Amino acid sequence: MTGTLIALKLRLFRNGPHDERAFSLVTGLVLAALVIAGSMPAPGRIDEGWIAVALTVWGGMWVFGPLAQPRHDPSVISREWLRGYPLRPWRLARALSWTELLGVGPLITLVSLSSLVVLAAPGGPAAVAIAVAAVPAQLYLLIWAGKTVAALAAWLLQTRAGMTMAAVQTAIMLALSFAGWVPIAAWLLPRLGEGDTALVTPTLGHLPAPVIDVLAALPTGWGYGAALAARDGAGPGAALLPLAALLAAGALLQLGWIALTARALRRPSRRAAPRRPAVPGRALPLPFTTSQVAAVVSRELATWLRDPARGVELRSAWLTPLLMALIVAPTGWSWALPLAGPAAAVFGAMVAINTYAMDGTALWQLLTTPGALRADVRGRMAAWALLFGVPSIVLTAALWAATGSPLGAAAVAGAIAAAATACAVAPLLALLMPAVGTDARDRVYPGQQAGDPTGGQMTIFPVVLLAAVLPGVIGAVSGGSGWVTALSAILLAGAVLYAIPVLTVRRLHQHGADLLDAMASRGAAVVRPSARKAER
Amino acid sequence: MPDFSVPAIEVADLTQRFGSVLAVDRLSLSVPPGMFYGIVGPNGAGKTTTLTAVCGLRVPTAGTIKVAGHDLRTDREAALAQLGVMMDGLSLPERLTATEVLRYSAGLRGLEDGWQGRASDLLEILRLDAVPRTLIVEYSTGMRKKINLALALLHRPRVLVLDEPFEAIDPVSAHSIEQVLKQYVDAGGTVVLSSHIMDFVERNCRRVAVVAGGRVLVEGPVEEVAAGSTLNERFIELVGADPVRPLEWLR
Repeated sequence: MTGTLIALKLRLFRNGPHDERAFSLVTGLVLAALVIAGSMPAPGRIDEGWIAVALTVWGGMWVFGPLAQPRHDPSVISREWLRGYPLRPWRLARALSWTELLGVGPLITLVSLSSLVVLAAPGGPAAVAIAVAAVPAQLYLLIWAGKTVAALAAWLLQTRAGMTMAAVQTAIMLALSFAGWVPIAAWLLPRLGEGDTALVTPTLGHLPAPVIDVLAALPTGWGYGAALAARDGAGPGAALLPLAALLAAGALLQLGWIALTARALRRPSRRAAPRRPAVPGRALPLPFTTSQVAAVVSRELATWLRDPARGVELRSAWLTPLLMALIVAPTGWSWALPLAGPAAAVFGAMVAINTYAMDGTALWQLLTTPGALRADVRGRMAAWALLFGVPSIVLTAALWAATGSPLGAAAVAGAIAAAATACAVAPLLALLMPAVGTDARDRVYPGQQAGDPTGGQMTIFPVVLLAAVLPGVIGAVSGGSGWVTALSAILLAGAVLYAIPVLTVRRLHQHGADLLDAMASRGAAVVRPSARKAER
Repeated sequence: MPDFSVPAIEVADLTQRFGSVLAVDRLSLSVPPGMFYGIVGPNGAGKTTTLTAVCGLRVPTAGTIKVAGHDLRTDREAALAQLGVMMDGLSLPERLTATEVLRYSAGLRGLEDGWQGRASDLLEILRLDAVPRTLIVEYSTGMRKKINLALALLHRPRVLVLDEPFEAIDPVSAHSIEQVLKQYVDAGGTVVLSSHIMDFVERNCRRVAVVAGGRVLVEGPVEEVAAGSTLNERFIELVGADPVRPLEWLR
């Protein structure tokens, strides 16, 4: 059975899609080449402690990568499909486990870990032999650490507590990605807030020995420790013990993965108890809106709070700027705190980029109701403004008031421009770049594929960021006038809120039926488009 | 009372092409107002494609569609305002309850006061008021059909277009839906439906169109189309059913 499943996986790889895999392969190989280059014994080479750092980061990506994308289902062979076969789940999971060793991730990690062989080479053939053994042993541990964490996360996502946990994990990862550099920058440029660009030159040549010892003691560093011990002739015990530990820990993790997968194969994914209203919600009395728009706003607010996939996005978008503020606050760069407000608008835009595809074929109701398309676009915008736009502006103002930052006025102007741009552009991009996943009626827990909107997110991110920066730049160019900054923010906000929704409604009128068709035929279209059409 | 001089639905030379596949081939239908009208045909005949085009959910390759005299291409909003639609297998705002989705629909259509009474009646008759806190996403197939019917009727349309309203539901739910539809037609409404349930079509529809290969094979009063047989027998005769050779390995 293992051979059959491996052949199936290779065939699925061959049939694509290839774009994302090819990108990961090329990027991964470049990074792996850098790690190997760093381990070369050459004059003026970097401290070998940095290899330990690089391998720790690499291992960290295996463990934390799945947590950063909790909605992403990495399995290539469908578990749903296999569940129908009369095979014992444990046996099937065990056979599946060996197919998990195939993929771009293991390949590039293998290349990266070959730096251990380069590192051990000066120690002679015995050291090289130990390092050669350490490479697959370390790879084995990393793969199963990553896979088991991913399986555990998928299991937890079937509960509402898991949803919150997934949102917190995503927010932590995003906050670290976007603001994790600030403490280092604040260390290098401690007086930037006062306009002083004097750089503190750090001594990065050698890492402190205790740091390297800690990294080598972590499971991600056991292979590194074995290679160094072999090179330095520390004795067979010091070299072989870490290898045995790698294999033992890897085997335990593999067993854990098999148990979790067997459990998933044994019973269908259970539904998270949906968040139900205590009493059916009332229509919102919204000022300045028609009953049509108010109806859409009520629907959107309920959906944001009750849809598990949107719920994860909502929580992570709210949490991320707060965590960023927590990272920045203790540093010398507290003057940058108000910038968390425009960042909140950016994150709000990124999580609202796929709402049409997430609502799925419910689009038919809008397309068959007179005047509904315009109301839908306005309603989505109003709901976004209530959930993300206004809070991001209020957050900016509050952080300005708390810090008295010289950037405060520009940050508020930036938040206004960013919120308006995100509010207007998100529905348009949701139509232009829909990431179609499981239809809304079949999506009962957040672990299910709700479409991968990475393309849309990567598009709206620079757009909203540019809008956030523009008023400040215009103000600075015009001599630092606060009025110019404020006026340019208001004009930009007015222009996008006026013009973009017109384009969105037009797009819905012209291509709404095509989008509905794509969403209705998604399952078959992905597999065999011509077959689906022939059925009609 | 409906205006009997204007067909409820008029489809002329409807053609729908998907790449090289011709799903609907110059199909023409005229549905008189105030009756049940059935469209039957084998899978892949073009029934759903035709109804989808009638509802404005697909732009036809060629041909014209009029709803109560309003051309769907040139007078789309007026045509849509006459329609109540119930499509098979599509989502609704899934995170709302039945009451919420009816309120949403009323708001979206800008309905005046009075819809609340109709919504209560529909929820009660279709037995959806027993689960006031249940979200649409948790509904069974039968409950989905019922809430779709309630949504289609809420604004009192002149024409109901129903795609497979009795597919995959239990007899009790089917009975509820049938009773509501009968009341609707008795009050002058028009129901155009596609179905594989020949028994229902024979019992309730006044006219029927048998569609296969994207064309209308025969159309007319049900008794005439059945031509002395049951509608099911006549359907198989018209569409043709290949003989199934005995499978030795099943013995």
